[in-house]
Amino acid sequence: MEEKKYALKIKDLVVQYKTDDGVVEAVNGIDLMIEQGKTMGLVGETGAGKTTTALSVLRLIPEPPGKIIRGSIELEGKNVFEYSEKEMEKIRGNAVSMIFQDPMTSLNPVMTVGDQIAEVIELHEKVDKKSAMEKAKEMLEMVGIPGNRANEYPHQFSGGMKQRVVIAMALVCNPGFLIADEPTTALDVTIQAQVLDLMAKLRQKYNTSTLMITHDLGIVAEVCDHVAIMYAGNIVESGSLRDIFENTAHPYTEGLFGSLPDIEKRTEKLKPIPGLMPDPTNLPKGCPFHPRCKYCQDICKTRVPVKTSVSDTHAVSCLAYEEGTGVVLGGAK
Amino acid sequence: MNKNGVGNYKKRGMAKEIMRRLMKNKMAVAGLVIITILILLAVFADVFIDYEKDVVAQDIPNRLQGPSAEHWCGTDEFGRDIFARLVYGSRVSLLVGVVAVVVALLIGGILGAVAGYYEGVLDNVIMRVMDIFLAVPSILMAITIVAAFGTNLIYVMIAIGISGVPGFARIVRAAVLSVKDQEFVESSKAIGAANITVIFREIIPNCMAPIIVQATLGVAGSILSTASLSFIGLGVQPPSPEWGAMLSGGRNYLRDATHLTLFPGLAIVITVLALNLLGDGLRDALDPRLKQ
Repeated sequence: MEEKKYALKIKDLVVQYKTDDGVVEAVNGIDLMIEQGKTMGLVGETGAGKTTTALSVLRLIPEPPGKIIRGSIELEGKNVFEYSEKEMEKIRGNAVSMIFQDPMTSLNPVMTVGDQIAEVIELHEKVDKKSAMEKAKEMLEMVGIPGNRANEYPHQFSGGMKQRVVIAMALVCNPGFLIADEPTTALDVTIQAQVLDLMAKLRQKYNTSTLMITHDLGIVAEVCDHVAIMYAGNIVESGSLRDIFENTAHPYTEGLFGSLPDIEKRTEKLKPIPGLMPDPTNLPKGCPFHPRCKYCQDICKTRVPVKTSVSDTHAVSCLAYEEGTGVVLGGAK
Repeated sequence: MNKNGVGNYKKRGMAKEIMRRLMKNKMAVAGLVIITILILLAVFADVFIDYEKDVVAQDIPNRLQGPSAEHWCGTDEFGRDIFARLVYGSRVSLLVGVVAVVVALLIGGILGAVAGYYEGVLDNVIMRVMDIFLAVPSILMAITIVAAFGTNLIYVMIAIGISGVPGFARIVRAAVLSVKDQEFVESSKAIGAANITVIFREIIPNCMAPIIVQATLGVAGSILSTASLSFIGLGVQPPSPEWGAMLSGGRNYLRDATHLTLFPGLAIVITVLALNLLGDGLRDALDPRLKQ
């Protein structure tokens, strides 16, 4: 079998925030691997630890209060925790880039967009001001903004255009790995489609591997090759797009799909997941999902599920898939 | 604040752009014109005023005369022409005002920016030291510095500048705190900018409004502080003219010869007003969001 190359390997990552109200267990030992050139969708509710995971890759967790307790993140084969801060600065924006959620606030209001893109180039490539600006303009053209608008300020652009600028900033140094943190959440649906198209095009062109953070399963279906479902700081299910969408294994994933309207069965009521995300300072014992799980058994309240393989590509953390637990998912697909 | 060496061709474009926007603001233009006239007067004072004859030499028979065609602003208690003394006095007052503010802005601004950006222990140490400075009345501190180093004009400027440091440090720190958590700052870290770049390119330019206001007010404050120092004999030494010294010198004649205090006072008011107008206009011109 051909050895797969991974752009990103996260092993047993634990991140906590120490606050006055207690320790927030944001990420609790997750494993995540993204193959070279592929797109991984990281799906979960607000507060599941998706953004924390992403910021850990760039080592931008604010410390204090945040702290990476243990684990390793390998980026193109090297552990990012072993880099010095200076080396990290070279990597950020160059080898890994991040697209932030809100294009309205992620651009500096007092710098022209051209300058902001050129700044990335100047930080990472030995070029003079003029050629950096030329390249910035080319990049703007590539994301569909006329180059002569490089001298305008962010407030002169619409939301979708700002997000294009942010994408241009993230991709201008051809990073091997791109983190997109809910890149379309702040945009309306038509603009979402355009931005996703654009990202897909650029990804193909540069063969960039991507971690796509989202809570929109529609986006996942459209752009991702693999999916990881995150709940309360854990990855509860991961697999290929087909594994997750057609052989849904975890009750939480099932709940997520139950919350989506089905265009063919309009009469059917949505089946939302009851309850709320657990308080991250006080996670439930056993399986973190058990208080909201409709198949919950007594054993789920005490025993922590481990990652179990359902197939070569598909893994799930649920006691129903472990042998001898007696848990059955009634009515599972 | 282009500490990172923004290339020439672009800097010119930006300066031009800011100038164009400043010119649209009539009040700012008025301020700029007044400041320019004041500076030109101060620089070319020698051309039309004889320092020895008009400014220093006493002419007792003509003392305390009101404004006339010969003496535009009248004469002081020694018969010297007040207008001539005001013009020469502006050399000292403008210089002290501007240099003291620059000193305060550089030291206070950097301390405040560092304190606000890094927070934690460093912030606490810097700001508590600033509190100590604030606890000492600024004029007392200026007196101490001048008394220790001498009454040279340079020490006067440094002394007044240092007493303005805590004010700038606090204002810059507050502004930095409000800007540093915005997403574009995080985003610039994510593209690999070092801390120093983040501070000078992302944060400081977004904090300019309160800094400019404080700086224009600071110039006025510095002129008045110089006056206080001169009044107690630690600032500019007589017979050299200085606005504040002239103001306090005329105090005894307030009832009979108001012009002795009126004109130096007006000079200070006009300068401060012009600086404030210019400062306001500059603040608006520097903010691209207000561009029409």
